[in-house]
Amino acid sequence: MKRMQHPLTWWIWSIALAFEITRLNNAWISIVVVGVAFLVVRTFREDAPWGKSFESAFKLGLWIIAIRCIFGVLIGTPIPGTTLIKLPILPLPQWMAGIRIGGAVTQERLFSTFHEGVILAAILIIFGAASSLTSPHRLLRVLPFAIYQFGLALVIATSLVPQMVRSISRIKDAQYLRGQKLSLKRTLIPLLEESLARCLDLAAAMDSRGYGSLKTRSRYRPISWNVSDTFIVLTALLSFLNPYALLINCAAPLILIRRKTMVSTS
Amino acid sequence: MITFSDVSLIYPNSTKTVLENLNLTIDEGELVLVIGPTGSGKSSLLRLINGLVPHHTGGILAGNVSVDGISTQLVKPGGLAHLIGIVGQNPANGFVTDTVEEELAFGMETLNIAPDVMRKRVEEILDLLSLAPLRNRSLATLSGGEQQRVAIGSALVMHPKVLVLDEPTSALDPIAAEEVLSILHRLVNDLGLTIVIAEHKLERVSQFADRIVHIDGVGNARVGTPSQIMSDSDIAPPIVHLARALGLADAGLSVRDMRRLSEDIRNATYGPRIVESANGAECVVESKNLSCTYGEKIVLRDINLQFHEGEIIAVMGRNGAGKSTLLRSIVGLNSAEKGSMRVQGHDLAKLNGSARRESVGFIPQEPSDLLYGQSVLMECTQADKDNEVDKGTTFALLNELVPGISAHTHPRDLSEGQRLALALCVVLSAKPRILILDEPTRGLDYQAKNHLVATLLRYASVLKKTVILATHDVELVAELASRVIFLADGDVVADGPTLDVLLSSPAFAPQVAKVMSPQPWLTVQDVVSALEAR
Repeated sequence: MKRMQHPLTWWIWSIALAFEITRLNNAWISIVVVGVAFLVVRTFREDAPWGKSFESAFKLGLWIIAIRCIFGVLIGTPIPGTTLIKLPILPLPQWMAGIRIGGAVTQERLFSTFHEGVILAAILIIFGAASSLTSPHRLLRVLPFAIYQFGLALVIATSLVPQMVRSISRIKDAQYLRGQKLSLKRTLIPLLEESLARCLDLAAAMDSRGYGSLKTRSRYRPISWNVSDTFIVLTALLSFLNPYALLINCAAPLILIRRKTMVSTS
Repeated sequence: MITFSDVSLIYPNSTKTVLENLNLTIDEGELVLVIGPTGSGKSSLLRLINGLVPHHTGGILAGNVSVDGISTQLVKPGGLAHLIGIVGQNPANGFVTDTVEEELAFGMETLNIAPDVMRKRVEEILDLLSLAPLRNRSLATLSGGEQQRVAIGSALVMHPKVLVLDEPTSALDPIAAEEVLSILHRLVNDLGLTIVIAEHKLERVSQFADRIVHIDGVGNARVGTPSQIMSDSDIAPPIVHLARALGLADAGLSVRDMRRLSEDIRNATYGPRIVESANGAECVVESKNLSCTYGEKIVLRDINLQFHEGEIIAVMGRNGAGKSTLLRSIVGLNSAEKGSMRVQGHDLAKLNGSARRESVGFIPQEPSDLLYGQSVLMECTQADKDNEVDKGTTFALLNELVPGISAHTHPRDLSEGQRLALALCVVLSAKPRILILDEPTRGLDYQAKNHLVATLLRYASVLKKTVILATHDVELVAELASRVIFLADGDVVADGPTLDVLLSSPAFAPQVAKVMSPQPWLTVQDVVSALEAR
């Protein structure tokens, strides 16, 4: 069986990365970090429904950048500098003074919105990587009893998302076959109804199987914490002290990857 | 083991009592079957046993339900987890973990059972339910029958005294259903487990039941042995209808008893059967060397088929044999890897809007996928507009099909059968030349099934349209289809008139055929007409 990291390891790792990205506030560094996350996900993820959350997060990230750029350029305070193009200014009523739609698009303005968008997207993608790398169900098993309600919600949410993706495509197909144009309402209503029913089913099933009825629970296959977990978590904790420990934080899993590829080739 | 004393149940915002003054004692080692029309409260009755009703769903409960001396009023469902295992209608919805082994262990973990005990019990269950080869498989990759077995296993692993199952075979093909039921039968006999099952497909389960609880949905319940209940129940498997038609009142429920009693009928000689053929009818769907793949896997391999006007074709086969893929490639949702699929000369993937509606109608496995209106009337008006028919056509059709549906009901509040009827009307009012249904009888009671059969037969014969359906329900096929296509692992292994295909395979033979073999009869009606013609 494939040896896996402890489910908390990758979450701590990505929280540290996200923290550093916000602190350093540099788009280039963020892009490098996303690259590292990509390598890690490619090596360590399992072939499971949640394994694809990295891709989804990546796509969502690109959307965020695009939307931010569009809005940032159209609306908002102008930053003086090299003008790239001049858009017509939309006349607004008096009471909306201070807001401008259109006008000159400066290079500086474009860069700053792009920069902010990249950092936001990077944080999202890093968390996408963490959820790609850990089975939500295994994560649940290591959570303490005190947050059992949270665990219940987590399991429901995580088993629901892949299910919802499948339901959406099924409903879209059905509506398409009815010869209708797709509309949000026509997809959303059956989807919500089904998802709600599904949540209730799952909650009932967990309840009937005694989830949360005892304060302690045993472990069938204890999830082990090993040296590589300690290694990654320690480097992650370092970076809370000094922002430049980001380097070490990024390097740590790369060392694991290298060791892994060496093991597999030998 | 389980005692219902003076139990009445009513849900909030509902004027209908689900149960009224139910008194029922279920002994240890009994297998009790709960029957009733859809929406009559079978699931509620099952969920009362471990307190999910009313703890989880709300509702007002009067009287007392107790299991092994513990009243569900005082204990929440979690507190009964060691005593009662419950398997829901769709087992996949209740899975909490990722793999088979983890799922089996989950319940024991929550009950804080020691790891070495857990290991032993998991192994036991893996052997008991023949799940050992699947132990490390991801739950999402299991077939319907395997999922059902895992769900039963994860309930049994807690060593419960009571096992409660809600429609355990409704999504399964006949062979998988047989597997699951024989396991249950063994558990009752070997371990003295008490089992309560709700099921619509009585032909599958009635011979295993010790007692039957028949609820009618307005509060009344009758409890009795299978022969008592079946003597005058409107809900009955085909074998009972056969016994009634032949005047064999106390024939019992097993094929063996019926065969013994009907020996002289079987052995008499009958005139040759009249075979109708669809020859000369126009070919509407044609596939040539059609192959489809899903990822790496080949789902359909070199399929050559022709469907004609006025035919009702049933596509059968085990779960995962390629039935849905075949239907999907007819309607143009699956692109062919090789070969072609033509509907009246068109590739349906390229048809849109009204042209598509007029050439093909599709009822998905979940009919509610098609519905999004806030009321039945809204749904019907929208369909009239979409299908460019006179106002009120769809609603009139619905009234004809299942009279008495209020126009202002929300589609979600309809029963399973009514919802299917609504979806059917929405599609049928466009009068598509080909109607396709994917597993239409999942969760339908006999009455709704009869309505469906009547509607589809009329649609095919009077309006000369083609109906194609994928189903596991052999009884439905026997009543309805004129031709059966049998798929196995992506190949067409049998294609011919219903009679020939169904009779050639014992597992897929309907009850009447099992009783009357070797006579070529599939339904009660066949037997009656043959006897009259003699």
